[in-house]
Amino acid sequence: MKKLTYFLAALLGLSITYASAQTKKGSVLIKNATVLTVTKGTLENSDVLVQDGIIKQVGQNISAPNGVETIDATGKYLMPGIIDAHSHVALDVVNEATSPIVAEVRMRDMVNPFEVGLYRALAGGVTISHAMHGSANVVGGQNVTLKHRWGSEDPADIIMQDAPRTIKFALGENPTRVHGRGRGIQPRTRMGVEAVLRNGFNEALQYKKAWEDYNAASSQKGNTKTAPEYDERLQTLVDILDGKIIIHCHSYRADEIYMLINVARDFGITKLVFQHTNEGFKVAPEIAEYTMGASVFADWWAYKMEVYYSTAFNAAILTKNGAITSINSDSAELIRHLYHEAAKTQRYGGMTDEEALSMITMNPAKQLGIADKVGSIEVGKQADLVIFEGHPLSVYAVPQKTFVDGVKYFDIEKDADDQRLRVSATEMVEPIFLTEEDHRCMQDVELNFSDISKTLFNTNY
Amino acid sequence: MKKTLLKASVLGIMVMGWISTQSLWAQSDPTGKKPITSTYAITNATVVTAPGKAGTKSTVLIKDGVIQGVGTNLSLPKEARIIAGDSLFIYPGFIDGGSDAGITAPKDPERPKDFVSSNPPDEIAGITPWRSAVDQYSAADGKVEDFRKAGFTIAQILPEGGMIAGKAAIVVYGSEYSTNVLKTNTALLASFSGARGMYPGTAVGVMAKFRDVYQNTKLTKGRGDQYQTVAGVNRPEVTPTYSAMMDVINSEVPVMYEASSELEVRRAISLQKELGFKLILTGLEDYANVIDVIKAANVPVLISLEIPDDKAIKAQKDEADESVKAQYARVKEAYDQAIKQASLLEKAGVPFAFTTAGTKAGDVMKSLKTMIENGLSEEAALAALTTNAASILGMSRVAGTIEKGKMANLVISTDSLFSEDSQIKHVIVDGYVYDYETKSKKKASKSEDGSAAKVAGSWDYETESPAGNSGGVFQITQDGSDYSGTITLDDPSGSGKINADLNEITVNGKSMSFSFDIAAGGMNLTVNVSGEVEGESFEGTMSVAQFGSFPFKATLNPTLIAIK
Repeated sequence: MKKLTYFLAALLGLSITYASAQTKKGSVLIKNATVLTVTKGTLENSDVLVQDGIIKQVGQNISAPNGVETIDATGKYLMPGIIDAHSHVALDVVNEATSPIVAEVRMRDMVNPFEVGLYRALAGGVTISHAMHGSANVVGGQNVTLKHRWGSEDPADIIMQDAPRTIKFALGENPTRVHGRGRGIQPRTRMGVEAVLRNGFNEALQYKKAWEDYNAASSQKGNTKTAPEYDERLQTLVDILDGKIIIHCHSYRADEIYMLINVARDFGITKLVFQHTNEGFKVAPEIAEYTMGASVFADWWAYKMEVYYSTAFNAAILTKNGAITSINSDSAELIRHLYHEAAKTQRYGGMTDEEALSMITMNPAKQLGIADKVGSIEVGKQADLVIFEGHPLSVYAVPQKTFVDGVKYFDIEKDADDQRLRVSATEMVEPIFLTEEDHRCMQDVELNFSDISKTLFNTNY
Repeated sequence: MKKTLLKASVLGIMVMGWISTQSLWAQSDPTGKKPITSTYAITNATVVTAPGKAGTKSTVLIKDGVIQGVGTNLSLPKEARIIAGDSLFIYPGFIDGGSDAGITAPKDPERPKDFVSSNPPDEIAGITPWRSAVDQYSAADGKVEDFRKAGFTIAQILPEGGMIAGKAAIVVYGSEYSTNVLKTNTALLASFSGARGMYPGTAVGVMAKFRDVYQNTKLTKGRGDQYQTVAGVNRPEVTPTYSAMMDVINSEVPVMYEASSELEVRRAISLQKELGFKLILTGLEDYANVIDVIKAANVPVLISLEIPDDKAIKAQKDEADESVKAQYARVKEAYDQAIKQASLLEKAGVPFAFTTAGTKAGDVMKSLKTMIENGLSEEAALAALTTNAASILGMSRVAGTIEKGKMANLVISTDSLFSEDSQIKHVIVDGYVYDYETKSKKKASKSEDGSAAKVAGSWDYETESPAGNSGGVFQITQDGSDYSGTITLDDPSGSGKINADLNEITVNGKSMSFSFDIAAGGMNLTVNVSGEVEGESFEGTMSVAQFGSFPFKATLNPTLIAIK
């Protein structure tokens, strides 16, 4: 029976069995920059020393230790690497859309370190993205937090191995469209979404108890209880209930946001972040009190019925109510200028520089559970840094150099026309048409609608 | 033609029915197919007994499917049929690490009334570990003959299916009267392809579901063990899936993961590290950048015996601007890397074999030669076809080399195997000799300007067979270097004419070949036609697997061209 206990332990520990690979760590001294620390104010004409990927000193007149490269950033701005709390970058598959709950699927299985979108994100100063499962399911798959170590060949090397587990949830039109309308199963309505969640968590509690009972019995002599069926789907829900996983929930309407807050409270869940959250301004105090905040668009809405009631003041209202608020991209295009998106909160809501910058650094770091490691320029943190020409919240801002763990992965002076890491031997070179890449929230979802409903519901986000 | 095929197939069916109740070598043999002897000696040929061995002039003696000896001083028994090998080269028979030749997918089961796409039954969702390739295999399939003609004598046949397709088996491409099965349950074929419109629908769902199946098989085993030893335990539920997965979790049967790309290779290896099963990687197409990963994981690999098509290279235009030219250069670089991947595997010291799944028998030599031109040694190419494959398949004791006591599986060619003009003249499988027509290569056979003969148009054809003459029309249309066409022929299963599409139309200098498929007597037959074009006439042979070759003549009809 001891063997079985070990076996179970191995099962539960599955997700941490990935060997943390040895990733590159760099050393660099950046001098004479205007340092936007985000948490400790703005330091004029200051230096930041990075050694082995960690920020070692922030101050003035720091001299470079032997062998450490010095970069003169006179007249330039240095800020923490931008963190995108909602992205689908570098994923070969986004949606396992076939079941209302697919908590068992892991986006880390699908990481594609060769996707050129990672480099483009670096060119926009983004060093970390939260590569999420899509929004086709009430409970989607487990997301993965990526560090943009461009050039890595092993998917494990761009995964932020010390980031906590997160999972995608989705409310409203997407899951009801895919499952209810598309396949004729629950959930067909917002009530169904809540039922799926509550049933799922209740089943998870039973599952947890079944294993606890079995484990207790299995050490007894002459035990006749057999091991329950293993179900990683339910086990993942158990892990959520045990506070091991942060929920990131696709949501738009205030009523459904409030619904999920209630579900979470009923089940004792506190690690909860709302994504999109366009009507978050209506329930800002509740979001502030019961959750880890909201990750929103600066000014993007009206792409389907449930996203009409929106305002560009959303982020500011949430912030003023004390909710942790981040601005995300959910897009291969927006990810390249999240600093502009953050600046919009100054035009709509009068956010301070620090508040606006926090929305793309410290706040998403908090929502991803990595604020002790990244998100600000502080001694001891991982050296994810961006040098900007112009203040990052200015419309004239242009990222110059982007560092992850002190290693420079983007340099505007060395930006070649073709930065792809992999080229297909059999694909012809076709003319490139510049169109905006759509949100990938509903990628890989097979939809079977009539032509009429297609025109009615053919939205992608 | 109609009568021949009909007669032959009817005869074939009769014979098969009769054989099953009588011993194979009964006294009476109305078919006339029984060989006079099962002892053969190929004398004074250049014999390459194993990869890396120099060819030496010697004689190979085989009897009843087993190699009796290789040497210069063998005493040949009276009953030995002598094949003069003076100008011939003998190699060990090729072994195919993974083949889909002769495999027909079983019909999808009907969906139950209470079918829910989020939780479908295993069989519908592509989880069928209990299925065996043997049940899906037909040795009479024309493709099997095609691969035998290309030199293959043993193949690991792969079941067709979804994420867990079923168990592979090893067969020999020998006598049509034998089951030819050497070994069953040799590997579990798995892939990252999801089920259509149901769970698991994508690779990410497939990986999660694979873990689920694997872990629950382990638990099922635990429950079974407990049930055997402790009284009062509930009867454990045993499902077909978990029963069939038992030998996999016990590491008795390896998981053969289809991983064509570098990321799929990494995904398969990471699953293997996580769960601990025995792994074989198969179907590798794009792997140049993960050779060190494969080496470190120390897993056997079966690479696709196919080189990437060069359409993207050919489509590159001269008058492109600089930025497009830079992109062209990268595609060319990727292509050059792709065709030398096999040589990179060799340099890294990773032993590999081939899988022909998804490839055409007619492309085998071309692919091998391209790999060799791009750095793969002939020794490594031959090892991949013989000893490495035998080792990966666990068949080294009986196959892979020409040695006394091993199976009589030989490839006999007209020249050193990979040389330009070499052709395969005989393939001996399990002691049965298969003869193939070889063409004397005349440089003059190409038209003066070296271009392909003009074959487009409507041809009247005639064919002779023991049952009489028959004929019809075939049409070929040309689009650039691509050809397509149809043929009308006497319906073999009744009166009237039927149409069939021409496949694999190849025109090379003056030679033209094509094939077409027909159904006769409940069998699907592939008819191969090949010959030479001389002006407006065509002369060649028509061959049908198992029924032999017949003369085939045609003339180009000028009037129809004029109409066109």
